Amino acid sequence: MSTLAPSRPRTDWTGIVFAALLSAAIVFPLLVVGTWAFTEVWRYPNVIPQQFGLRFWGQTLGRPDVWGSLMLSLQLSTVVTLLSAAICLPAAYAFARMDFPGRTFLFFSFLAGHAFPKFGLLIAIAAIFLQLNLIGTFWGVVLIQLVGTLLFMIWIPVAAFQSVDRRMEEAARDVGAGPFRVFWSVTLPQAGPTIAAAVLLSFVGTFYETEGAWLIGAPGIRTMPVLMISFINNQMVIQFGAVLSVMLWVPSFIALMFARRVIGGGAFARGFGA
Amino acid sequence: MTELAEGEARPLIEKTGSRRPTGLLLVAVPVLLMAWLIIWPIFNAFARTVWRPDADGDYGFNLSSYVFFFSDQYSINNLTITLWTTGMCALLLLVICLPIAIYLRFSHGRLPAYVQALAIFPMFVPSIILAYAFIRVLGPNGMVDILLNSVGLPKIRTPYLTPWGPVIGLVWDNIPLTVLILLAGLGSVSNQAIEAARDVGARRLQVFWYIILPRISNSVLVAISFAVLGIFSSFTLPYLLGPASPEMMGPFMNRTFREVNDPLNAITQAVITFCFCIAFGLFYVRSVARNQGK
Repeated sequence: MSTLAPSRPRTDWTGIVFAALLSAAIVFPLLVVGTWAFTEVWRYPNVIPQQFGLRFWGQTLGRPDVWGSLMLSLQLSTVVTLLSAAICLPAAYAFARMDFPGRTFLFFSFLAGHAFPKFGLLIAIAAIFLQLNLIGTFWGVVLIQLVGTLLFMIWIPVAAFQSVDRRMEEAARDVGAGPFRVFWSVTLPQAGPTIAAAVLLSFVGTFYETEGAWLIGAPGIRTMPVLMISFINNQMVIQFGAVLSVMLWVPSFIALMFARRVIGGGAFARGFGA
Repeated sequence: MTELAEGEARPLIEKTGSRRPTGLLLVAVPVLLMAWLIIWPIFNAFARTVWRPDADGDYGFNLSSYVFFFSDQYSINNLTITLWTTGMCALLLLVICLPIAIYLRFSHGRLPAYVQALAIFPMFVPSIILAYAFIRVLGPNGMVDILLNSVGLPKIRTPYLTPWGPVIGLVWDNIPLTVLILLAGLGSVSNQAIEAARDVGARRLQVFWYIILPRISNSVLVAISFAVLGIFSSFTLPYLLGPASPEMMGPFMNRTFREVNDPLNAITQAVITFCFCIAFGLFYVRSVARNQGK
């Protein structure tokens, strides 16, 4: 609330220009999509749709392929997130608190997945999955998406565990609490919110993951984004894509709300090496 | 590595001797998974494209798939359009994001908060929705055409399905990370340095060139590396918004692998993208590691 400062009476023209340009470039396209989702008739030269309505919501939601993809995507995201949490959170705790040979090296080795162009890496993985007959299977897609969550699910929780006040843990041990009791009553409540944000980010990230699902999953596994690609490519009814976009955006919006604390702190950008 | 070092300086509570195997055991699964699905495929891709059977089935050193790539005009065109798109995106990202980041660094209040929220917003818009919005706005008879038509102006030449389509989409998609990285870098520019320069009469451009730029050059390089790594082999946006020919490496690899059903040449293309990005990848890893070590 530093706006109260009287020393800045002049108008912030730079800010107004940026705000206007960014609104036009970022908010406007999404508003157009939102409008299309609630439009029944909108022929070309009209600035405003001729007829609004929810008809296409019924039609989109009535399509069996939409339901199939939605369920599949939710299933995939749940399995991947649970597996990722199960293997990454203990590892994050170990990286944050234990000493073992090669710790620093192994910790930074998780960057490898981000140091190569992603689609090239996917092709290299797909070539291996081809020999293992994992192409087009549920578990093939689970594996590829699981790898995509590793860095996030280890690095963010490591930071969370490290920010826990060690003196409180020591105090708890001094009064006789066992290691599990300390973890459950002292460590977890402090690290919990950040870890929850990481889990949520990994769920949403997996839900929207397109390229791995497209390359490894086809033709058997059609997740929501993959279905959306075919809707766009086949130029089906315009509103189908709009309705799906609005629907698909809901989980992202929830993530936005939750992730603000993680991303706001600049810790996020630091994680990318800034 | 402050925290790590701190941990090592507390042998009393760590009882390292007894915990040694436990720690390794806990990290084993993700480490092995990464070794199997990232490290091994990369080495495998290199090995498989240079050491493979010839026509008689004898294994040997064989570079013919690379020779084919670099002698095939279509492949060369795809590589060229990829390099052009990546370079253009990196340039546009800097031109757009650097002023935004500098503005955000040196102002406070509601308007900058709004600008920052907008600049970070695309991070929460999946690229598939972005592609759809792009077509509805900039595509033929899209919203821009509608608005231009309503004020009596001619339609735009739509960038949809031209090389500019992926450029616009990828820049849009990469604005948040670039702004965040640059903003974090600008945190190291002190207000005093700027004020001191201003006091001796430096103009805005001079302040930028002599005071700000040298201090954030590393962040600029990190931002560019990150954007290049993401853009060079991007798939979804070029596939949906770009021309069918020449196509970027992402759609090209996808088509070679799936439609042409030719894994060998697809892997060769993947290895070539690795080679073009290796410098950026190494720089990225080095700066993240150095940054975490601070």
